[in-house]
Amino acid sequence: MKISLNWLKDYVAVGIPGKTLAHKFSMAGMEVERIYSVDGDMIFEIEVTPNRADCLSVLGIAREAAAILGKKKEFPPLSKIKWPSKKFPVTILDKEGCQQYIACVIEGVDMDKTPLWMTKRLKSIGVRSINNVVDIANFCLMETGQPLHAFDYDKLSGQKIIVRRAHAGETIVTIDNVERTLDPSILVIADARQAVAIAGIMGGKGTEVTAQTKNILLESAYFNPILIRRASRKLGLSSDSSYRFERGVDPGSVKTTAERAVMLILKNAGGLLVQAADVRVGKKHMEKPVISVSCEAINSFLGVQLTSAECQRIFTSLDFVVDKGDKGVWHVCPPSFRRDVVGQEDLMEEVARIIGYEEVPSRLPCISATNVAPDPRRQLRNQLKIQCQAQGFDEVVSYSMIHRSDLTKAKLDHLPSLRVVNPLSQDQEMMRPSLFPSLLKIVQMNMNHGEKDLKFFETGKIYMKEGERETLAMIMAGTRTQDWRKPQGGEEVDVYDLKGAFIESVGSIQHPQWVVEPQELPIFEPRQGAVIRDDDKHIGFLGKINQTILQQFGIKQPHVFYAELDLEAVYSTVQSPPPFASLSEYPAIVRDVSLAVPKSIFYQDVLNVIHRQHIPILSKVRFVEQYLGEKIAPDRRGIVISFIYQSSERTLTEQEVNTAHEGLVQTLARDCSAMIR
Amino acid sequence: MAWDFAQIHQGVHQDIEGVHDLQALEAFRIKYLGKKGLVSDIFDSLPRLSPEEKPLVGKQVNELRNLLTQLINAKKDEVQQTKKSASSPFFDVTLPGIGWPVGHRHILSQAIDEICGLFEKLGFAVMEGPEIESEENNFEGLNIPADHPSRDGFDTFYLDVADPGDKTKKLLLRSHTSPGQVRIMKAHKPPLAVIIPGKVYRPDAVDASHSFMFHQIEGLLVADDVKFFHLKGLLTTFCQRFFGPDIQMRFRPHFFPFTEPSAEVDISWKHGKKEWLEIMGCGMVHPAVFKAVGYPEGKYTGLAFGLGVERIAMLRYGIQDIRVFFENDQRFLKQF
Repeated sequence: MKISLNWLKDYVAVGIPGKTLAHKFSMAGMEVERIYSVDGDMIFEIEVTPNRADCLSVLGIAREAAAILGKKKEFPPLSKIKWPSKKFPVTILDKEGCQQYIACVIEGVDMDKTPLWMTKRLKSIGVRSINNVVDIANFCLMETGQPLHAFDYDKLSGQKIIVRRAHAGETIVTIDNVERTLDPSILVIADARQAVAIAGIMGGKGTEVTAQTKNILLESAYFNPILIRRASRKLGLSSDSSYRFERGVDPGSVKTTAERAVMLILKNAGGLLVQAADVRVGKKHMEKPVISVSCEAINSFLGVQLTSAECQRIFTSLDFVVDKGDKGVWHVCPPSFRRDVVGQEDLMEEVARIIGYEEVPSRLPCISATNVAPDPRRQLRNQLKIQCQAQGFDEVVSYSMIHRSDLTKAKLDHLPSLRVVNPLSQDQEMMRPSLFPSLLKIVQMNMNHGEKDLKFFETGKIYMKEGERETLAMIMAGTRTQDWRKPQGGEEVDVYDLKGAFIESVGSIQHPQWVVEPQELPIFEPRQGAVIRDDDKHIGFLGKINQTILQQFGIKQPHVFYAELDLEAVYSTVQSPPPFASLSEYPAIVRDVSLAVPKSIFYQDVLNVIHRQHIPILSKVRFVEQYLGEKIAPDRRGIVISFIYQSSERTLTEQEVNTAHEGLVQTLARDCSAMIR
Repeated sequence: MAWDFAQIHQGVHQDIEGVHDLQALEAFRIKYLGKKGLVSDIFDSLPRLSPEEKPLVGKQVNELRNLLTQLINAKKDEVQQTKKSASSPFFDVTLPGIGWPVGHRHILSQAIDEICGLFEKLGFAVMEGPEIESEENNFEGLNIPADHPSRDGFDTFYLDVADPGDKTKKLLLRSHTSPGQVRIMKAHKPPLAVIIPGKVYRPDAVDASHSFMFHQIEGLLVADDVKFFHLKGLLTTFCQRFFGPDIQMRFRPHFFPFTEPSAEVDISWKHGKKEWLEIMGCGMVHPAVFKAVGYPEGKYTGLAFGLGVERIAMLRYGIQDIRVFFENDQRFLKQF
């Protein structure tokens, strides 16, 4: 809100330079965001917080200035006007929406120029001069914070005012020349025939005062803040009036402002006040709380040492009424304009604000214990991140929302996804059900910058109807590691690099119980994709990304590899601490086997056969090499496996190892249709 | 003196300088240490010397012999090394080494870890809450009623899912980490000291200083006797540890619906530009919040604070544009 320093000086003798005053305002909670000059006047742009509706006026800011500076307020004297005996007919049909409505009919006004001093004040804060009546209404609004509205009295049908809800489909053309369709949630001011103003927001074009206006009806009212706010949002229409009404105007100034405006109109535009009405319904909005507090409690809560007199002076400077009770307890009653002050805590803030937060000492709290145990997931995640880093992967943080078309491009449109109802752009419409599209976009952007060797990981949420799940994603492309000794400066990565990095990283927090199981997935190239299965649950997938997807995302490099894992599943099965396996003191015996197995048999199938034999002395199985060449039938491949036999209790005999090993090899030959090479 | 040892030493050094192969070295050895060499001559002369000269010459000739042995051994190594080097294959040890480059942690996750770590050292426990929230936790539980201007600062993304707790309402993406306070307090009794980091969402048009997704860190301390001056003490300590001792701070009154009194914290560098930069909001937990989570009235006091991670990282590292955090350009990622 804009405040003119010269205007402010009309009501309080500031006595300090503008910049110093601005600083004091900021340090008392009225943040001055900008200071600039207009015609030798200094204008403050003040951020008034939503609780301080009372500061949306020059008088409000003047009250603050007086309290902060310890100065006297010199407010304009209350206007004594003679209220006419003739009652103007006002009917409040919606008692919830309007608690007070004052109407003053002034006959014979002279629509003329506004006095120069007033237009100057208005101009300084950016309010355009229109005519004397409208300018006076605006001036009073800016001065007191109470919105007013002037109707052309002769244009009102039936010369009466009804405050009611709009009828469904009722329309009104507002003074900004826009036709607006209303509904019963919206409060209107109506004459005998139709709505003539949207209550508290904007007047109607049909009853607007013009240069030809002779008689006016001036409105000053208290409208329900919630109704005004809802209507303003619904219509997408806000004004200086609605801004104040929705924050709550001072019920105590509805009448005084009306009187001030009438006085100014009579003085500057002439005319006679011939009819008036002051209709009030309900008193709830007028109730003022009484808050009990002691100086001791204030000192203790803030950690300051104020005397009783100092506390009292602060309250009085803010126009709070203080009644002394028993045992040092005060009963504090805030004024009608301070509707934000309802409890002790509010009084504490007022005291701290006026003495200045800088006067409050600074002490470290003694945090003896907390009833909350730290989240174990955080530690696991950090460990996982360190391992991903150790594998050479850079961490990325990407947006949780993606474009709907990203799902189609990534062949993920079958996943049920959450939708944002009110996105600012289509790029934010879908909550990602997978980290895959985000990482593809990051790879694409980096490749466009000429980077070829990319390794990225992210731990982020994915979102589904059932809720959000933390997920790990790893993506890689390019060279394994820069090595000038190798042709082309290094070897290109393949699925095994990704799988290795992935298993090493995840294995650091959980000894994997799960298996990587071949499965054809649309996002991967044929035969080069797999799901990660834990018992019968699929908890992730990995493989070489499908070429069409890469093209859709504008990635020209054809060899890009991706893995994703549901970390919630991992977190829930983490064993801590891991069990200890004793170290054998006895020698190990190693037997290598070279097999030719059909290509339809996966290595995992071979492992499954081995594990099913439950050979107690077989301590480890190690894959040595694969052979895919001319020396073997085209439907077969050669594999070499190392079997390590060892016992933790004794030295194994050659014979028992041979017996076990031969049995195993024969089983493999039988169950995997393997030939021993 | 019968022997001029100074001159002998000079001769030895001159001779060894001229030795470049094993043959010359052998000649050198014979000249000095051979059966008829100089050392032998000196020893032979000893019986002829006076009783005063004898021990002196004896000592010096022994020293000479040790020196010669040393020189011969050193020269032998030198000659052999030179010979080997000439026959060794080419090698340039200044070529780049080949390692396995480690990856980099995103600067936001580093900043979050560092900030949480500082508070952990002060006794706080780090907790996390969901990003998909109810209106109840995001607003009402925090004393932000519907249709109230205090909601103005909290434009919020809504999702197309009904809130299971209130089917008339939709779930939303939390617009701040403060709903974490509500969750913690609903589940635990004081004393509480928790830090809640996480992503938050607001429908803000994206520009250099606004993003529709960003990270916040929330702090909450609730006990029997938390006072306003503790808020200043705690956050002053944090800022000094995070930004360094060269920091100036000020607490400015502000308004947040869930704290009263409330404050904003500005920082400035003692030797930098004289400008105040707002870095966080804080305050004493509003009694309405305690009431909403079911704590008995007047039993506890608490403090809460919240800070924007991107903003703090931008200030600390001199980053001008918030979008750079989410672009994930490798050239950016690898800087930290």
